[in-house]
Amino acid sequence: MSYDTHKTWFYQVVGRNIELWQWVETAATDTVGSHKVKLPDEYYGKQLIYPDESITNGLMFQGTAFIEPFVDNDPNELDSASNPTLTAVSMGANIESAHINLSRMLTLAVIDYLKAQLSEMAGQVDVKEYYMREFWKKVGDDQSNKRSFMITFPASPFAVK
Amino acid sequence: MRLKEIMDRTGMKETGLAVAFVKDAIALIQSQVDDNVATWKTNITDGTREYPFPANLIKLKSISVKDTNDSKYKRVRRLAHSPIVSEDTDPE
Repeated sequence: MSYDTHKTWFYQVVGRNIELWQWVETAATDTVGSHKVKLPDEYYGKQLIYPDESITNGLMFQGTAFIEPFVDNDPNELDSASNPTLTAVSMGANIESAHINLSRMLTLAVIDYLKAQLSEMAGQVDVKEYYMREFWKKVGDDQSNKRSFMITFPASPFAVK
Repeated sequence: MRLKEIMDRTGMKETGLAVAFVKDAIALIQSQVDDNVATWKTNITDGTREYPFPANLIKLKSISVKDTNDSKYKRVRRLAHSPIVSEDTDPE
């Protein structure tokens, strides 16, 4: 039985894998009935060992994922006051009529990215740099739209209003 | 916004190239900002330390291990240094 996993488990990134380590202090233990017992002839002292137990769905990754880039409905328009149902559109004849699966602001950023790539193909590196700056600016704007916060500070009693 | 509109705005004629650039832009966005965050779960096997990253993962945010004592996933820390043991030939 795993417990205090935030204190007793560690990971290390090695290429395309992670290596999972378990921290053992003094001895490996096992549970007999409801009692935790120290195993003889096992790990002693403080050391990192390979995972010492099997846990179903025990490891969870959280991160950004590649999304389906093209969908059948506009992701920025409500469908009768509800979020739209998005179904992926695969490459085919109707791909040009598919919607980009991004917010409006990020889609505008994608336009700048395309212009940047086209400029690079035309050998206009300075124009490419301009559009890449616009690209990142719009990506930043999209993020700051979601992360508004308020700063409050006390007003000076003698401040001129 | 439809792909056709994007192609019109940029003056692109080749659909395949436009699709490729759109995918590149999405990957670039996802590698920098948390636009689409997902979770993946996999089994931990006794004596196995290596677990591959999910194929469609772009940027790792955290790794958690299930605390079976209270059925909660708790974020685990990354090792600052490699352990002294590079391989355990008898981990059981």
